[in-house]
Amino acid sequence: MDETLAKKRAVRNPKRGKKQPITWNLIKNQKQLIMMSVPLMLYIILFAYVPVWGWTMAFQDYKPAKDFGEQAWVGFKHFKFLFTDDNFLRVLRNTVGMSLINLVLGFVTAIILALLLNEIKKVFWKRTVQTISYLPHFLSWIIVTGIVATSLASDGIINDLLMKLQVIKEPILWLSEGKYFWGIVGGSHVWKEVGWNTIIYLAAIASIDPALYEAAEIDGASRYRKMLHVTLPGIKATIVILLIMSIGHILEAGFEVQYLLGNGLVVDWAETIDIFVLKYGIAQGNYSMATAGGIFKTVVSVTMLLLANWTAKRLGEERLL
Amino acid sequence: MGGKTKSWLRLSTVLLLSLSVVLGGCGSGNGNNAATPEKKDSAEQTTPGTDGNKVEPFEVSVFIGEAGQQPTPDNKIYKKIKDELGASFNFEFLAGDINQKLGVMIAGSDYPDMMTGNTKLTAAGAYIPLEDLIEEHAPNLKKHYEDYWNMMKDPNDGHIYILPNYGVFNGKLNSSWYSGPAFWIQKAVLEEFGYPKVKTLDEYFDLIGKYKEKYPTIDGSPTIGFEILNYDWRNWGLFNAPQHLIGHPNDGGVVVKDGVAEVFANKDYAKQYYQKLNEMNAQGLIDKETFVQNYDQYLAKLSSGTVLGMFDQHWNFQNAENSLITQGKDERTYVGLPLVYDENTKDHYRDRAPLNLNNGFGISVNAKDPVKILKMLDALITEDWQKVLSWGIEGEDYIVNEEGRFMKTQEQRDAFTDGTWKLANKADAFFGFAPKIEGSFSDGNATDAAAQPEEYKAGLKEYDKKFLEAYGFDSYVDFFSEPPENEVAYPAWTIDLVEGSEAKVVNTKLNDLSTKFLPKAILAKPADFESAWSEYTAEIGKINIKAYEDRINEQIQWRITNWSK
Repeated sequence: MDETLAKKRAVRNPKRGKKQPITWNLIKNQKQLIMMSVPLMLYIILFAYVPVWGWTMAFQDYKPAKDFGEQAWVGFKHFKFLFTDDNFLRVLRNTVGMSLINLVLGFVTAIILALLLNEIKKVFWKRTVQTISYLPHFLSWIIVTGIVATSLASDGIINDLLMKLQVIKEPILWLSEGKYFWGIVGGSHVWKEVGWNTIIYLAAIASIDPALYEAAEIDGASRYRKMLHVTLPGIKATIVILLIMSIGHILEAGFEVQYLLGNGLVVDWAETIDIFVLKYGIAQGNYSMATAGGIFKTVVSVTMLLLANWTAKRLGEERLL
Repeated sequence: MGGKTKSWLRLSTVLLLSLSVVLGGCGSGNGNNAATPEKKDSAEQTTPGTDGNKVEPFEVSVFIGEAGQQPTPDNKIYKKIKDELGASFNFEFLAGDINQKLGVMIAGSDYPDMMTGNTKLTAAGAYIPLEDLIEEHAPNLKKHYEDYWNMMKDPNDGHIYILPNYGVFNGKLNSSWYSGPAFWIQKAVLEEFGYPKVKTLDEYFDLIGKYKEKYPTIDGSPTIGFEILNYDWRNWGLFNAPQHLIGHPNDGGVVVKDGVAEVFANKDYAKQYYQKLNEMNAQGLIDKETFVQNYDQYLAKLSSGTVLGMFDQHWNFQNAENSLITQGKDERTYVGLPLVYDENTKDHYRDRAPLNLNNGFGISVNAKDPVKILKMLDALITEDWQKVLSWGIEGEDYIVNEEGRFMKTQEQRDAFTDGTWKLANKADAFFGFAPKIEGSFSDGNATDAAAQPEEYKAGLKEYDKKFLEAYGFDSYVDFFSEPPENEVAYPAWTIDLVEGSEAKVVNTKLNDLSTKFLPKAILAKPADFESAWSEYTAEIGKINIKAYEDRINEQIQWRITNWSK
């Protein structure tokens, strides 16, 4: 994949750092390209920029049946409600906490699994492991949380296993303790997504030049050495790009898992921004509050994305923008 | 060669499939169209129902806001309606999401003649006001709704748009089925201790404790004393019991005394209940997992037959009970008990179903001849037609014994549970939403076959017959006191808190606090209960409960002024 991209670049050959002046001639030459990009531009304008107009709702007491002109403008009232609520800091902490756990666990497990899969030489086993590990991705969260809740029940498989192994004497009620909750959410995410997440790394690994492995082998590199010095650097660019994108989603800790697994006993650890906004925004018919929550999340996302991108640039890594 | 055969095969499959879709589409289309013109001649007959006037056939398009199945084209009840009243129905059932469908209908003002009730449609002005038309053209309907007339009026503009389908009662209220809230107990527990009459909470937990001690396991699994379900919106298992224990009906989060509502979550009579639960938990009677389980796990436990009791609404665990019956564990099914704190309090769990507002049919602004439709509905509310719609045709679907009581043979009973049979022989799609008489007809027969006492008894299982005999009851509903007339403003839980208002935010917060602190208090060591409870009430003290109570009280007053007869 990298090769073909590089080739294209060579053909067009724009001078780095120097903008090509836009002339009629250039437009004429590229008119097919411009025509082709029109539908996509329209799509983006229509579905990504026009809806931003809806942000105005956050500054109104929005009522669905009224016209825009009839809405009452209230300034930052809804942001105030959001930020001053007793629960806000708690849900923010939970969101960021679970999100970070998901991020770290997600990356580490996916990369490790990809590296391990890469080492399997028998195609049959490789495919089997891959298929089994990514199948849960296609289950919806409602199913997964059902499985998780059942496995964690007092007579569920987890407690049975730990009791048989003599690790614990009494079954533990995993879902009744706040301190376990983040871990359970992180674990469920890993179980559901690990196989799926490896796919992109496996693709990146496949594009590494085999000559590098041969060279390393001639230099006497062991299997682990090759992993460390050839495979990992080979997919570093992919990892960084994915990391930057994930950091942009830091406030997306998910909603279904916490909503479906949470209960009164762990609510202090389970409630995320999304649940909060659902309860006090959408469920109350208070769309303005929900929009304010959405704006907050978007602003944080864009900021984090730019920050991560800037850091990557400073570190001389591949970046998104 | 192989490749070629394959592609041929694929092509022909695709062709076949598309052909079948096209044909299928044609088929059903024809079916619908053909049903109407065919029977024109028979409809010309004169009938007694219309005072000897000629019956003019007309078609009524109906939107049903629920998923459903088209009746068969030769359905005998619809045929009878067509023959005698001239109306033939053209149903459209909901497919997919109701709000989406309504959005499309409203956007295009594309309404059929009749539509089931929905506040979105009312707000869009899709229904015509009916009160004057009923006064003028529909004497039977007027009589039917007389006592409920003011309640049916839309609170916003005072018009009647929708004819409620349930909640209008007549005569003795026959009921053999209780679907509401109660403390439920396994029949086996009562049987074990010689069918005692259980009235108070203490007696109830006493029985459960004794039974659990005697039988620590049921079918090999540990016995569970008591379950409290509090999952997502199914939160009444934890929240609602206190109001019933002091003898009040289900008003949701408030207790209404003399037209004044108060939140009971932090009151002493609520504390009494949760303290009892706390003690019972210390004795190991309450399921350890009860607050972490989801609804499926709850149903699974109940279905296993190991749960001795719980506070719940019957319909909520109906599936578990059905499963127990299928497994042949009749003794593990449940009896609802209307428990109170002390002997002197009269129980008020069972209530008279309130008027089912915003449900039933309305006539749309697009209906060409609303008077004709209304006259048809007016004819159908008469007792003779109600019998046809509810019981069926005499001799075919039910029999009348010497005492004039309606009964069914086993064959007829079985037919009534057969969905396919019903599509051809019952007008359920229409009748479910149509105005109907509930209770009993003037000849004393129940309006609903399932509520006819003789019919109910005949359908009972051996175990239940024996069980009810021991108590001297006709049905399980007899465990409850006869419901008194409802207060005018009852029930308070149907009051709209108004989207986005402070009352609604407070209500959400209150639920959040209860969900968080009540389990803590119940699971605390008995010595720590006091502090857990005061923490809970202190948190409630911080939110503006008054805003919530004020809204309820304001609406109660509004109902008292406007709904009183």
